[in-house]
Amino acid sequence: MIINPIYINGIGSISIQKPLSEDGIFNPVSYDTPRVSCIEPNYRDFFTPAVSRRISKIIKRSIITAKHAISESGIEMPDAIITGTGLGCIEDTEKFLDSMIRNEEKFLKPSFFIQSTHNSISSQIAINLDCKSYNNTYIHRGVSFENALVDAALLFKQKKIDSALVTGSDQMTPNYFTLLKRIGYWADTVNDTLQFVRNTKTKGSFSGEGSISFMLSSQQNKNSYALIKAMDLFYKPTVPIEQKIEQFIQAQGLNIEDIDIYLTGMSGDAQNDKVYTDIGKNLFLSEKTAFYKNICGEFYTSAAYGLNVAASSLKKGIFPAHCLQDGKERKNTTHILFHNHFKNKDHSLILLNKCSN
Amino acid sequence: MSEQSESVFITGMGIISAIGIGVDETLISLRESKSGIGKINHIDTIHDLPSAEVSLTDNQMMEILNIEAGQIVTRTSLMAKIAVKEAITQAKLTLDGKFRVALINGTTVGGMEKSELYYFDFLENDKYNEYIEAHDCGSCTESIADYFGGISYVSTPSTACSSAANAFILGQNLINEGVVDIAIVGGSECLTKFHLNGFKTLMILDDKVCRPFDETRAGINLGEAAAFCVLEAKKTIDKRAVKPLAKLSGYGNACDAYHQTASSPEGNGAFIAMDMALKTSNLQPTDIDYINAHGTGTPNNDESEGRAVVRVFGDNPPHISSTKPLTGHTTSAAGCVEAVISILSLNNNFIPGNLNFSQQIKTLPFKPTEINIETEVNHVLSNSFGFGGNNTSLVFSKIESAT
Repeated sequence: MIINPIYINGIGSISIQKPLSEDGIFNPVSYDTPRVSCIEPNYRDFFTPAVSRRISKIIKRSIITAKHAISESGIEMPDAIITGTGLGCIEDTEKFLDSMIRNEEKFLKPSFFIQSTHNSISSQIAINLDCKSYNNTYIHRGVSFENALVDAALLFKQKKIDSALVTGSDQMTPNYFTLLKRIGYWADTVNDTLQFVRNTKTKGSFSGEGSISFMLSSQQNKNSYALIKAMDLFYKPTVPIEQKIEQFIQAQGLNIEDIDIYLTGMSGDAQNDKVYTDIGKNLFLSEKTAFYKNICGEFYTSAAYGLNVAASSLKKGIFPAHCLQDGKERKNTTHILFHNHFKNKDHSLILLNKCSN
Repeated sequence: MSEQSESVFITGMGIISAIGIGVDETLISLRESKSGIGKINHIDTIHDLPSAEVSLTDNQMMEILNIEAGQIVTRTSLMAKIAVKEAITQAKLTLDGKFRVALINGTTVGGMEKSELYYFDFLENDKYNEYIEAHDCGSCTESIADYFGGISYVSTPSTACSSAANAFILGQNLINEGVVDIAIVGGSECLTKFHLNGFKTLMILDDKVCRPFDETRAGINLGEAAAFCVLEAKKTIDKRAVKPLAKLSGYGNACDAYHQTASSPEGNGAFIAMDMALKTSNLQPTDIDYINAHGTGTPNNDESEGRAVVRVFGDNPPHISSTKPLTGHTTSAAGCVEAVISILSLNNNFIPGNLNFSQQIKTLPFKPTEINIETEVNHVLSNSFGFGGNNTSLVFSKIESAT
């Protein structure tokens, strides 16, 4: 799709790495379990105890990351608030469901239901900011975040907005972890999450979670992280994905050789990763193949963390060694091609450029 | 957000709700003011609350769709498939890859209807594993896309009761920006114990038939439905030699930013959404012949929406009615159910009456249009407001009046 340049001017991230910090990208911690939870910020710094009790964890995380991204950007109020989430407020959904089944539809409390709808993340951010502008939520499996990003890109292209707060947010509850484990999402054992993606090609990955917010703008400023030059999203492509990628790159007046990093959604799951390694081989991108799920784990909106890694590394001028297939740090990267797929059915492509300042 | 976009048109519609399987049956029910609200049959619940269910069982729908017994299906996706099939048939759309076609399905419950049956099994054994991945809303959309094939873009907006209305916005933007040629947009939602109980705990379900815009209104009757429209621009309409049914003239999307489940007393979000829909349509309030209100029948919604209507249209607004006493509140599907009703109103020049009305709301200067009225209808504004203040208004225009 043809988009206007979009600048990433602010990022807020809460994940299994240090919250609201780029440390997680450049000096990540490793874990030895297949289910890793977020490192929480001190909620008391952000909410009164009464408010903190009332709103659920995923909403708290998202409000904090939203505000962080906004404050970094220097823009006071976004023209649009758009969230992508694979499961929404699953913790509240499960609490309501559990209580409804257990108590045979009696003695139910409304609070869990109120927060169970997926759009409560976007709307609670809006309520917190008192922002009455465009507001939307997308739930579409492993490309939920990219769906939100496309929505923003279309509004930018039509000049309906000059800024947008786009968030990817998902939580992994113990119960949902169990459910997904039954259908092969998770590896049985994980010894070193940081090395997991590079070294392991088994069935399943390790689970993470997170809320990652981006303040996007049509204007560059002195703090801009990176530029989203192009993006695309497609379902069950009828031509080989390699061809789609070549067309995508060429449409930007670039050649495959111009791509410095091929950032992928490799997760350590053999079936998932083969899609990327094949492309790496076929398009001569093997040496440039990189990943990020070793830092953040697998969750439906982990692509938001991938965008964070791409944008933060372009700003810093260093692409970290632990995210590269060959384990060698890269400097002076200009173009990053970010490719994510879900079950080889849904594919997203994002081309990021270093800002020229 | 006031830039004018290129126009998109509706070339096909499909609907399945308590007032009919298909557009023809729906029109007859509207004409005869035949409500679909009755007793709950398809879910096993302790609550005896008036609700509007689709008459068909899952097995009957599978038969209609030629889906073999034993396939993994959810009621939401079955209803959606029936509605999409009708919409693409009317639009003469063959999904053969000639055009890039998007499927945008607004839903919130997704596969909850199975999850609420099997949740403890999911946790304890492998008996129903195949339904685990049917839980998320995106899987529902993909199941519809895969049934038909030939879909190159899928998306699942979820903004509670305005989800399907937001599908129209994404559809228009994807077409305008050349991402796809054609978009099948709408929403689907079956009744679940989960949201029936959820709405019950909020004490916003009426145990009698709902009475939108009535002083005595006491809440919602839930319903289930799927409705889809085929959207496309002039380019493919000409190329495919199909007849547009109506034009999507404009839209407004705003957030009330007031409360997770209540609307602001002044209807701020509703006001912005309606105002923006008129502006993007390049229309004046006086151009609107009919407002298909969100009109859920809750004390809060109808007063808040009513005040916003007065702010936009003055004390004497155009014809306004809620069709929820007919269809029930079909939650995520409502935006498209009511889009179909709006287009039927345009093309048949009638205003569907607001059933069950007797007393005007004391704090509002207007009352709804009570009975069906035959009159020329050129522009209809349709409101869909969701929890979280996700407010969307769409304007549909008759083809003769469309410029």
